Amino acid sequence: MAVLEVENLKTYYYLGKESVKAVDGVSFKIEAKETLGLAGESGCGKTTTAYSIMRLLPENGRIVQGTIRLGDEEITALSEEEIRYLRWRKASIIFQYAMNAFNPVLRIGAQIVEVIREKEGVSKEEARATVSDLFDEVGLEPKRQRDYPHEFSGGMLQRAIIAQSLACDPMLVIADEPVTALDVIVQNKILDLLRKLQEKYELAVLFITHDLSVVAENCHNVGIMYAGNLVEVGSAKAVFKHNLHPYTSKLIGAFPSVIGEKKRLQFIPGTPPNLLNPPAGCRFHPRCPYAQDICKEKEPMYREIKQGHYAKCHFAGELSFEVIE
Amino acid sequence: MHILNESGAVSARTSVGTRRYIAQRFVQTIIVWFMIITLNFIIFRVMPGDPRQALLGEGIPPELRQAIVERFGLDKSLIEQYFIYLVNLFQGDMGYSFSHFGEPVWKTIFDFRFANTFILMGASMAAAIIIGIVVGVIAAARRDTLIDTGSTVTFLVAYAMPVFWIGLLMLMFFGFQLGIIPLAGTITRGYVHVNFLDYWRDYLWHMTGPWIVLTLSFIGGFYLIMRDSVLDVFTQDYILAARAKGLKERTILFGHAMRNAMLPMVSVVAVNLPYLISGAMITEFVFSWSGLGLLTYHSVLSVDYPVLQGIFLFLASITVFANFLADVLYLYLDPRIRY
Ligand SMILES: Nc1ncnc2c1ncn2[C@@H]1O[C@H](COP(=O)(O)OP(=O)(O)OP(=O)(O)O)[C@@H](O)[C@H]1O
Ligand code: SF4
Ligand SMILES: [Mg+2]
Repeated sequence: MAVLEVENLKTYYYLGKESVKAVDGVSFKIEAKETLGLAGESGCGKTTTAYSIMRLLPENGRIVQGTIRLGDEEITALSEEEIRYLRWRKASIIFQYAMNAFNPVLRIGAQIVEVIREKEGVSKEEARATVSDLFDEVGLEPKRQRDYPHEFSGGMLQRAIIAQSLACDPMLVIADEPVTALDVIVQNKILDLLRKLQEKYELAVLFITHDLSVVAENCHNVGIMYAGNLVEVGSAKAVFKHNLHPYTSKLIGAFPSVIGEKKRLQFIPGTPPNLLNPPAGCRFHPRCPYAQDICKEKEPMYREIKQGHYAKCHFAGELSFEVIE
Repeated sequence: MHILNESGAVSARTSVGTRRYIAQRFVQTIIVWFMIITLNFIIFRVMPGDPRQALLGEGIPPELRQAIVERFGLDKSLIEQYFIYLVNLFQGDMGYSFSHFGEPVWKTIFDFRFANTFILMGASMAAAIIIGIVVGVIAAARRDTLIDTGSTVTFLVAYAMPVFWIGLLMLMFFGFQLGIIPLAGTITRGYVHVNFLDYWRDYLWHMTGPWIVLTLSFIGGFYLIMRDSVLDVFTQDYILAARAKGLKERTILFGHAMRNAMLPMVSVVAVNLPYLISGAMITEFVFSWSGLGLLTYHSVLSVDYPVLQGIFLFLASITVFANFLADVLYLYLDPRIRY
């Protein structure tokens, strides 16, 4: 059974009478021991997907349709108190801006102890011992528990955040751009650590990033999002080598895999659509070189083209892109 | 400024920089205090009216007048008088009251009046701060609900009403009509208290009126700052993180949001101390609470310059040192601040 199963999820933000269709019909699943990388341009709905799973949407955000199964619970309909109970027990999240995820006036250890005690009902000493083990695991000196967040460097904070995310033995860890704010060397160390811990604890990981090279190295499966839609999902190999969606192909083309300057997404002409009023039909059609008349009118189905390889394009499997290696 | 070393560590809690900062602030404080002492001297020399007149009254024989003038050095130059003032001050001598049978100013202020003011103000501030903080946090968490709007309106009205007006209403209604609070004083006149406890019961009963009035007038400011501050804290990422961790709302509010939101409060209390004290003075006057406020009032009426000088000096000193303490306290409340 999948750890996380998202079915036709639609999450909108309401601005007066208008709605921002930030996530509009997204489906995917993640098994234990598996990492799904979710990639796409800024503003395509990655964080909104993550917040929907944690049920952490801001006041004006609402899940309007779809189901989210976390283990054996369907969570979209749970009450606030029920979901509060599940948070950190079943799923934890590493935020996009990890530096700010700890309260600056409380000791780091105390903030992890706090969640362990809340969830497991253990004594302070037991919780502290757990934190020591976790710190050890992520490569921090256990005595640094007593430090305040500002006394940690960026990389150390990220390690502490990872330790915290594992504190209550979750099935799923959502990592929202966990390394974006770090320099490359530290990035690699943190990514290695995440991979190691994932294997050890058999975690399901939803790894969000807009850096495809990070996805390629760290994820078993890949999902590509565009303007609130999941346009392609498949194994990393399938998506990178035999991609089915024109957007995926363009996105990969914008990331030369050889060492060199990263020219992020500069090769895709046009800009992502305004999600208040997305284009009819296929949302990518204004920018798609393969667009036909049908693309402007009819929204493509999200369908399985090959075993385990899905795409949302009328012509998926029929187009051939130059394969980039 | 601290520098992150290899492991990112700064053990700055008791760092040299911090100690130097405290020392610097202390020196500043002393300088400001000295300026206040000087100003306090000048103000009372340039005030209209000859204190000798007030002291001696009419029809005093010239020889006696001369003797007194010499005894107090009133014939000396201002500079000389200033140094005498300084020397005396540092010996704890603030002169003699004109009106309280010539008792030392020190005694007039500190014998019991300061204690009365201190207890009344302390109790009112404690109540106002606690209520202001707790209700402020709850109102922020329940923003735009009845609780929020209701408490904001209530406290704003209490805040905006003049203290003497609430005081008088209180006296008229609860004191005069219902007779459940005493009309004046700190204890029942002529009543012989059977023991210490009985004395306190009587004292606290007399304090009810001024305490409620003062608390009401203080809450508004604390409440509004707290509510605002908490709303600001709510937009911080660590609050979202605390929610993601599935902590109880109570823990998030009082364990995280309140702590951070309280930081601005420390300096607000220190900076507003003179304003708070003036509220207390008016309240004392309304309820004839024998503290520094009532003393100020009577001293102004009887042109008792030495006592006024003493009171002003004392209040200004408290304010200056409270600000110094607030700065030091900040260092310990907010671990990010290091010098
Ligand atoms: N509270 C909100 N109210 C209205 N619109 C919002 C709100 N939060 C996000 N949005 C919009 O929803 C869309 C999706 O945002 P989201 O944060 O999920 O994107 P993202 O893929 O995580 O982007 P990034 O890579 O920049 O983090 C964006 O267009 C954003 O402007
Ligand atoms: S459906 Fe049409 S517009 Fe959309 S990606 Fe496929 S070819 Fe392009
Ligand atoms: Mg994001």
